[in-house]
Amino acid sequence: MESLRRPLAAILCLLLCSPASLGYTQQVPSPTEPAAAHKKARPAYSSKQLRGDQRILQALNRFTFGPRPGDVEAVRAEGLEKWFEAQLHPESMDETDLNARLADFPEMQWSTEDLLYRLPSNAEIRQAMTTGRVPIPTDGTLHAIYENQIYRLEAKKAEKAAGGAENGAKANDVQGKEAAGKDAGGTMQLASDGSMVRVDAQGNVVTGTGAADSANAMGADSSPTAMSTAGSMETSAGQTAGAQTAFDATAIAAVLALGPEQRVERLAAMQPEEFEGFIKSLRPVERVQLNVGLSPGLRLTVRALENPERLVAEDLIAERLTRDIYSNAQLDEVMTDFWLNHFNVYLRKNEQMPYYLVSYARDTIRPRALGKFEDLLDAVAQSPAMLAYLDNAQSVGPHSLAAERAERVAVRRPEAKKKVHEGLNENYARELMELHTLGVNGGYTQADVTEVARVLTGWGIDRPLVAGSFNFNPNRHEPGTKKVLGKKIKENGEMEGRELLHMLASSPATARFICGELAVRFVADDPPPELVDRMAKSYMSSGGDIAAVLRTLFRSPEFWSEANYRAKVKTPLEFVVSAVRASNASVRNVLPLANQLRQMGMPVYGSVPPTGYDWKASTWVSTGALVDRMNFALALAANRLPGVVATWAEVPDLAGAPADTSATPESEEARLEAVLIPGGVSETTRSAALQQFAAQTRQDAGLAQPVAARRRNRAGNATAVERQDQVLAGLLIGSPEFQRR
Amino acid sequence: MQMNRRFFLHKGSLAVAGTTAIPSFLVRSVMAEAAGKPGQRLVVVFQRGAADGLNIVVPYREKNYYAMRPSIAIPQEQVLDLDGFFGLHPSLGAFKPLYEQGQMAIVHAAGSPDATRSHFDAQDYMESGTPGVKSTQDGWLNRALQAEDAHRRCAQTCEQQTAFRALALGSEVPLTLSGKIPAIALSNVNGFTVAGRGAAPSPAASAFETMYADSGDRIFRAAGDETFDAVKMLRAANPAQYTPGAGVNYPASEFGNNMKQIAQLLKANLGVEAAFTDVSGWDTHQNQGGANGQLANRLSDFSASIAAFWRDMGDEAENVTLVTMSEFGRTARENGTGGTDHGHANAMFVLGGKVKGGKVYGRWPGLDNDQLNEGRDLVLTTDFRQVLGEVVSQTLGAQNLETVFPEARLAPNRFLKLI
Repeated sequence: MESLRRPLAAILCLLLCSPASLGYTQQVPSPTEPAAAHKKARPAYSSKQLRGDQRILQALNRFTFGPRPGDVEAVRAEGLEKWFEAQLHPESMDETDLNARLADFPEMQWSTEDLLYRLPSNAEIRQAMTTGRVPIPTDGTLHAIYENQIYRLEAKKAEKAAGGAENGAKANDVQGKEAAGKDAGGTMQLASDGSMVRVDAQGNVVTGTGAADSANAMGADSSPTAMSTAGSMETSAGQTAGAQTAFDATAIAAVLALGPEQRVERLAAMQPEEFEGFIKSLRPVERVQLNVGLSPGLRLTVRALENPERLVAEDLIAERLTRDIYSNAQLDEVMTDFWLNHFNVYLRKNEQMPYYLVSYARDTIRPRALGKFEDLLDAVAQSPAMLAYLDNAQSVGPHSLAAERAERVAVRRPEAKKKVHEGLNENYARELMELHTLGVNGGYTQADVTEVARVLTGWGIDRPLVAGSFNFNPNRHEPGTKKVLGKKIKENGEMEGRELLHMLASSPATARFICGELAVRFVADDPPPELVDRMAKSYMSSGGDIAAVLRTLFRSPEFWSEANYRAKVKTPLEFVVSAVRASNASVRNVLPLANQLRQMGMPVYGSVPPTGYDWKASTWVSTGALVDRMNFALALAANRLPGVVATWAEVPDLAGAPADTSATPESEEARLEAVLIPGGVSETTRSAALQQFAAQTRQDAGLAQPVAARRRNRAGNATAVERQDQVLAGLLIGSPEFQRR
Repeated sequence: MQMNRRFFLHKGSLAVAGTTAIPSFLVRSVMAEAAGKPGQRLVVVFQRGAADGLNIVVPYREKNYYAMRPSIAIPQEQVLDLDGFFGLHPSLGAFKPLYEQGQMAIVHAAGSPDATRSHFDAQDYMESGTPGVKSTQDGWLNRALQAEDAHRRCAQTCEQQTAFRALALGSEVPLTLSGKIPAIALSNVNGFTVAGRGAAPSPAASAFETMYADSGDRIFRAAGDETFDAVKMLRAANPAQYTPGAGVNYPASEFGNNMKQIAQLLKANLGVEAAFTDVSGWDTHQNQGGANGQLANRLSDFSASIAAFWRDMGDEAENVTLVTMSEFGRTARENGTGGTDHGHANAMFVLGGKVKGGKVYGRWPGLDNDQLNEGRDLVLTTDFRQVLGEVVSQTLGAQNLETVFPEARLAPNRFLKLI
């Protein structure tokens, strides 16, 4: 089989590759301009086809989150066709490295019910406090987790009651720094308390001392600062609110001296105020020591004792970015990202959402990312994440048993102030057609939206606070026949929804809409209609098979057209992840990357509206965006992101030879350019980088140990060559060429 | 035009660059010259997600309002009465004095005439200023600045055109501001610098500047030019020195922060003419609440931020006009889940030193069942372009409204005369 496939691939390539000039040079074609593309006549795709390594780069840039050093050679050796087929079969990939990293997030494997029980959300804690509908576990550590949260929320409430008026004045002191965060009170605040600081297998601290330090390193201009500001506000407020037990150095040292298990047992045995006092008394370095030697499970316990909801949201994001960076099944990750964006769900819709999203990404989207669209659509329609996000879980048929019952209650007890809301909600019905399937011009009317909402009544969530699984409630389902897009759907309970989803998934409008989106993601901001047509045909003939559609895309001349080479501007996610991949950085702490994405306007799971993020250049190329990208490039290259370490001297060049310490600036530039931007950069970029490189060299020669450089460098012992490499690499990552894929 | 702007700016920044020894007052006067004479400034606030105008400016004399909204209507005794018929939502207390002092006007039953109920289409239509036309690539506010240039015949010489002329607070330039006139987007004034905050640009920043300025990539070359112009201007103007005026408290929210930073940048005399920011969280399909609750919380942030901005601008508020909009309104009836679904007409606020406020403008179409649009929402009686057309012609001096709102056929004699 293997031996057969190779010649076949070669023949295919021969057919597709243009017979044009054999004199292929390293020259970079001038970038096309997506924003203006619509004004130009479309190029004839048959004529200018990519050749050689540019084809490999095109595939790597589009079907992965960007090439790592050595990827081009590996694909060249394997053969492009074979590589692509392997990417369509993620189950066959060796993911040893990725899995070792994912072991840091053991709870990401738990069921929603387990997550909700063992790492309770704030909403559950409030229920436990008020109605008792959520029982407090009696088992030791779990009991402590619940009690600590009750204490924390009560302190917060007391503080709010006491200091409401003060808040406004305080806000002015912040001087706009928290504006960097879309919801400064949200997920990433944790970065400031140092709890995400990680320790490597030998127990060495690898991330420095957390955000306070990163803030110094980055200057006041980066989001870690913003986070630390928000965090420190909370900390100081917390200290004034509750009368916690302060711990002195001896008491702290005694806890830290315990073995891993005993240490965590001791923490779990503390009374809530004692625990709070202990955590608040820790200096950053002690904070790190607290985690030394702890297994992932024990680390999880420590974090859960502190704030379980925050930990779930953080790890959800960290796990996703870890996969984007390290998974070998890159196309699977790219498509998972694509569908998570297509079927967008916002992390902060409610307090259960981080919990639902764990299963949403893991059980709903990823296993179907390369499967049949209808399976995916069904699974999404039944996911608690989507049902909660677009409110379908709340929707009740106006003539259903549940509505009639509510009506009777209202008649019997008109004095009851709080009206039970029992009726239709058309939010999901509309977005299902507009954004998930037919597209806004897919030919549906307002009447269709209302009918679809009726069809889907009863699709909801079983015990949202403790179970969080799909459930069809026939009592809430609207009786009677419905009519959608001119077609009758007979009364049939849950099966009505199935029939509807099948109808939508197999509509030609859906085929065009989905294929158009895919073409924008993979080919160009303004994709050739012929290509979209061909993909849509493939969608229809394969029963909506996503892999088949991608194969059609892969075999289309439009994909391999020179006009579409480097034609896509990277979104912030693509930029950040591709930079980390290209630099082969070791990432032990993903949160600084998540903070960067938030700063750049693309927080993970952070799109509020159901459209998700745009894939087009016009959204992402702006003045503020460039500033953020350049600063990120320099920070990443100089190891100023805590927990992210790039080692430039060790990056081998393409010939496989290790870095040469006697290297000339030109040879260093060539080595790093080949690693970071294998397609090459313009002479302008190269000479600008070299000029700066020379300036840095002169500066280093003049100062035995430049103070500024030493202070800025986390490692503290970077050699002159390493510092030069860092600047050079930062300039290359921040260059115009690296902004495209 | 682009050439001239760039020529000027390079001259301007040269005058400032590398002059750390120059006393700050001198630098300030250079910058002041760069910014030109104090002109009229327009601030646009977009409420994304379709705000519920009927619960924001409440027609509390409409019987059917209460019949259609049994659990979310604002009780008569709780509205902040405006004119005996309309009343503000109780969380808009910060707007009440602005209205009473005659600086704030309201236009009700206003919005985009297009019938779409898609957030995304409706926002695009409103931002492009061309309802129903999808192919429009630029925004009305950008075209208003173009029209201003044309009117002042200064396309070749306008010295007030700085990198900050069209400013968006946020991480991207919204469609409203996109177009021929370069627009800048920034989310954090203090973080807007490349490779450190020293008095002079760092070597890495200079390398980037060269890289982008000479790039063959036109998109990034243009963005790079604007970026470095803006960074230099901001460095020289040092907006961080403009702290909110005494007694001005912005809410500690993203929107509050954006409004605070707009005030900072306006006060720093950077030549901002048009500023844009948005605020989300209005898509209240479920449990939106009445006098208290979800919508009430959004509204107190919204009004407190805008009122703080107004006070913060102090005497300069005289030359500032602020206008708010949202892509469409919400259903007149509450839905089955204590919220409202996508509707049609909405309410707009116009605040400004020159505004004839203290009045609710527009024809009120009524809320009886047979008066509703498609049997479910508030009928539209004022095209939002009527309001914006008046605002841009009276403030920015954009006279050719056909440029700003093509095919809207706006006639000044049909304006509401609210300025």
